Amino acid sequence: MDSKQSPSPAVRRAPTPVKLVIAGGFGVGKTTTVGAISEITPLTTEAAMTVAGAASDQLGRTPDKTTTTVALDFGVITIDEAIKLYLFGTPGQDRFGFMWHDLTFGALGALVIVDTERIDDCYAAVDYFEQIKLPFVVGINMFDGKPKHSMQEIRWALNIGDHVPLVLFDARERLSVRDALLEVVRTARESLT
Amino acid sequence: MVRPFLDDTAQVAVPARAPIDPPAEIRPYLQTAGRVRPLGDLELEAQVVTTALGRAELLHLKFEQRDIVALCLIPNSVAEVAAKLHLHLSVARILAADIAAEGYLSIVRPDFGGRSRAETLERVIRGLEAIS
Repeated sequence: MDSKQSPSPAVRRAPTPVKLVIAGGFGVGKTTTVGAISEITPLTTEAAMTVAGAASDQLGRTPDKTTTTVALDFGVITIDEAIKLYLFGTPGQDRFGFMWHDLTFGALGALVIVDTERIDDCYAAVDYFEQIKLPFVVGINMFDGKPKHSMQEIRWALNIGDHVPLVLFDARERLSVRDALLEVVRTARESLT
Repeated sequence: MVRPFLDDTAQVAVPARAPIDPPAEIRPYLQTAGRVRPLGDLELEAQVVTTALGRAELLHLKFEQRDIVALCLIPNSVAEVAAKLHLHLSVARILAADIAAEGYLSIVRPDFGGRSRAETLERVIRGLEAIS
């Protein structure tokens, strides 16, 4: 909660915002992850997302485009007096629209959450982050206890290089989420050098 | 061009206070006078904060303008403005950019506040480590 809101007459100075993206398939625990560490109850806003329609490449036709409204969940962490960290969950959809550019543009990095029962749900996010060269970490959400596959098997299934950190975490646990986010920011720092 | 809700000659009944719940079924383009993209897209996390002018003029502003200027007496991101005022995200972006252009809001964009990316990352790491 914002505990330091003094109603001073002076115009307030806004902090510098930075953001991390929390990605992964539908129902994988993105909102739980954001909620576990955000100092506000995660907020939801409606956003338009333009998606290219599937199987529409008939000769002479432009691809169908559909605009859908997606719910965008996000939370906030006050880092210090001058920096506010926003956590944006990607809408739980497979397809990418302009929304993804908005979400990732200027982001420090991303956490891709994986459910080991449905590993392929996160392929789209992994592909996208690799393509735009956004530093990311794969986080295996252990809400069901231990993962049913070894880390090597998961790494193989994801086809990610050794440079991509793989972490186990529990989306319900504040400190576990903190450690996963720390891994993301450290990875981003290493990618600078 | 004067957007309808800025036109003082059109004396519609202005509520004494900002409405608690904006009507849900106003079409987004009516709120933005037909504009669909802001002039230079504002980032979702860009901070919106009311200026001294905005504070002084608060009671003379109407509808969403007043709601946004009142909300941003404390800095909020564009995404928070949208969520807290139940505005479509793209509407919040356009309105915030417009109101800023009129001098009632200032906007802090995510440029690391003049710090380097490396220094920003260090500070974020320290900030996260401090969470217990």
